[in-house]
Amino acid sequence: MSGAVSKIELAASFPTLRDEDWKYTDLSRPIAIAQQWLDSGSNEQPPDADLIDSIKAAADAAWIVIANGELLEASSTGLQEAGIEVSLLSSDEPAIDVPLANLNTQFRTGGIRIRVIEDRLDQRPIGLLVIDSAAGAPVMSQARVDIELDERAAARFIEYHVSSGDDEHYSNSLIRLNLAADASVEYLRFQDRALHHSQTARLNVRLERGSRLTHGGIDLGGRLSRNDLKIDIAGPDAVATFNGLYVAGTGQHIDNHTRVDHRVGPAVSDQEYRGILSGRSRAVWNGKAIVHRGADGTDAQQANHNLLLSERSEIDAKPELEIYADEVKCAHGTTVGQLDERALFYLRCRGLDESRAKRVLTRAFAATIVERAPIAELHELIGERVEQRLRELGDAS
Amino acid sequence: MSTESEHLESIVNRRYEHGFVTDIETESLPPGLDEGVIRAISARKREPEWMLEWRLQAYRQWLEMTEPEWAHVHYKKIDYNAISYFAAPKSDDDRPKSLDEVDPKLLETYDKLGIPLHERARLAGVAVDAVFDSVSVATTFKEKLSEAGVIFCSFSEAVENHPELVKKYLGSVVPRRDNFFAALNSAVFSDGSFVYIPKGVRCPMELSTYFRINAANTGQFERTLIVADEGSHVSYLEGCTAPMRDENQLHAAVVELVAMEGAEIKYSTVQNWYPGDEEGRGGIYNFVTKRGDCRGANSKISWTQVETGSAITWKYPSCILRGDNSVGEFYSVAVANNLQQADTGTKMIHIGRNTSSTIVSKGISAGRAQNAYRGLVRVMPQASGARNHTQCDSLLIGKECGAHTFPYMEIKNPTAKVEHEATTSKISADQLFYCRQRGISEEDAVNMIVNGFCKEVFNELPMEFAVEAQALLNVSLEGAVG
Repeated sequence: MSGAVSKIELAASFPTLRDEDWKYTDLSRPIAIAQQWLDSGSNEQPPDADLIDSIKAAADAAWIVIANGELLEASSTGLQEAGIEVSLLSSDEPAIDVPLANLNTQFRTGGIRIRVIEDRLDQRPIGLLVIDSAAGAPVMSQARVDIELDERAAARFIEYHVSSGDDEHYSNSLIRLNLAADASVEYLRFQDRALHHSQTARLNVRLERGSRLTHGGIDLGGRLSRNDLKIDIAGPDAVATFNGLYVAGTGQHIDNHTRVDHRVGPAVSDQEYRGILSGRSRAVWNGKAIVHRGADGTDAQQANHNLLLSERSEIDAKPELEIYADEVKCAHGTTVGQLDERALFYLRCRGLDESRAKRVLTRAFAATIVERAPIAELHELIGERVEQRLRELGDAS
Repeated sequence: MSTESEHLESIVNRRYEHGFVTDIETESLPPGLDEGVIRAISARKREPEWMLEWRLQAYRQWLEMTEPEWAHVHYKKIDYNAISYFAAPKSDDDRPKSLDEVDPKLLETYDKLGIPLHERARLAGVAVDAVFDSVSVATTFKEKLSEAGVIFCSFSEAVENHPELVKKYLGSVVPRRDNFFAALNSAVFSDGSFVYIPKGVRCPMELSTYFRINAANTGQFERTLIVADEGSHVSYLEGCTAPMRDENQLHAAVVELVAMEGAEIKYSTVQNWYPGDEEGRGGIYNFVTKRGDCRGANSKISWTQVETGSAITWKYPSCILRGDNSVGEFYSVAVANNLQQADTGTKMIHIGRNTSSTIVSKGISAGRAQNAYRGLVRVMPQASGARNHTQCDSLLIGKECGAHTFPYMEIKNPTAKVEHEATTSKISADQLFYCRQRGISEEDAVNMIVNGFCKEVFNELPMEFAVEAQALLNVSLEGAVG
């Protein structure tokens, strides 16, 4: 796998702050982890079985467990699920030529392919549990999943990221999701990592004619977390809806980059990301919509709203539009601020004390995204985790 | 659809109105750039030693820098050694003291441009410091200004007569090594304008300069420095047209504004450089660094620009809101047609407390042009109570043009309130139909819609400029239907 790669070569395969797409996210910590991992060899630790069990108990899904980048067959319950085929990914899968995807290709040891054959929207979701664990020395791992949906096939997915173990870990995941004509996917990515873990995660989606993606991304944990969501609209009448929520406290850096390529029209993309920042934290949101020549009838909407709750939090937001067609409807809006004073006043008039009123409004701000998240039966679980995280952060500040 | 393409063709075939060359002998330096050229420029302008040293340092810094490539524009690499860095009208040694002494051929040029300098200056009460190529040749209303204590002169004169002011403020807003083009300008700047408004003075008239490029292969590198001392007020107008040329002409200007406590500077630009022909041949490369520093509390800097010309525009008039309660504004209309490329916007850097900024950007793309808004709003940790509102709209006319938005927001203070909104639209068939039903011709309807789209910006322009800008826009988009 790693072959004769030197530490310097390894570091060179990471993007730097000089790369426009990485201007606000410093990968020196993941690089250090990767280099130490290269030095010290394998320190992967079997993941915490209790943690896996508790997640499986909390959410009913056909679970496919990926531990430190490899399929953990013993814990996986979704390998024989009806309507899907799960196999190991061969080593010659097509490359995605961006820096961290290349890193994944270079260093991955496992890889899973999932094919969805029929419409199973009304059945339990397919769960991808990405769990990483390091002990004794830092570890880097590469999770890799390829998902294909046949024509008119449909499925629901949970991509659940957690970590166990006391040492630092860096996880770099790469997931491809291809939807054939009229296929449909509901996809929830839930990142609830330990605060000493870093991760970069890429999801590349391709939408053919009439296909439909509803995506929700929730980021609560991790020291550094970067998500790249790239959606290629390759067929007309495709619809992509994606929303995200990030909650960060001291020491956390959460970066969401989305990019939609409208190659043909008519098609719709609609995204809304919301962030709550407290303590000494930083978040980045970069939404890019590219309407290619001839993609008439495109409707691309972007929104990003941020609540800064502390003196030392920072948000770097960049809603980008690149438009090469004229029959389009594109708009974006971004706001940064504090809680609405009038709303606070309203609640205080009704007898809530200030901290209570603030809590109510902060939760309402987050709830908008949680309620819109796909896979309704998980709303309660996620809502509880968001609530718990907000409480932790509230106690800290 | 066919009328649409006909109309588009008529835009494409529109010729540059102001395309001609005045046949005046110019005394140029041979193409190329080295320390010798800089010494020659400095010597020809009889500059003091410190000015030469400043230029040389800028040149040495420039040598270490690389040309930026991040803008959304594409052009053939510029050969900086193929450009002549100095051209002056021959009569440099005995410059005219009044309009009567001005070379009649120059005056003819202004006539062709529709700018009867003397008449217009008198009628409109505007002092005009006309830059023809690189050296100022006519300055009016100086006496009236000097009565008020206002210094308004060419940059060369300022270096000669007000060295203490120039030394104090030159490069204090745009440092020599700020960026590649600013460094180049700092090394070779030919001339420009200098304005100083003393404490508590409201400048008695609007100041205006007409820039013009006239000699083949000559880059023009103006340097403008405006200092508004405590409690003063000035409105500065800048407009430019350029003769038709086949070679690309490089224009790398630097504008520095300093507003002290309670001062206000309003800087308006109508830019109509030669945009190149239908195939994108020729046209000005307009790489400009414009920045204002709200140095004192309660100061205000307002940029208004109407950009219709240039093959390539690379321009981000910015405000550093250093003083508490200072205000920055940016109002822009950018029109790109044929193969024009514009990458323009602003930066608002909030440093002081309770600072506020407003950005209104209107981009119009037609033909095969690319028009990008690029902006930065940065709120520093100490800038409590900062407020920004950005509105950024694009109008597309035709199927082959592009409209892009790259707004950066970097917010490091929780009390900041920052809002950004952007929309993209075209002139819809419904809108046109509605107007035509009411007896308005298609062309008038388009003009009306476009002018309505730009109204917020035109409202910010001084009156006579607003009229000019509106006319310019109507000509630019003659008959265009989206």
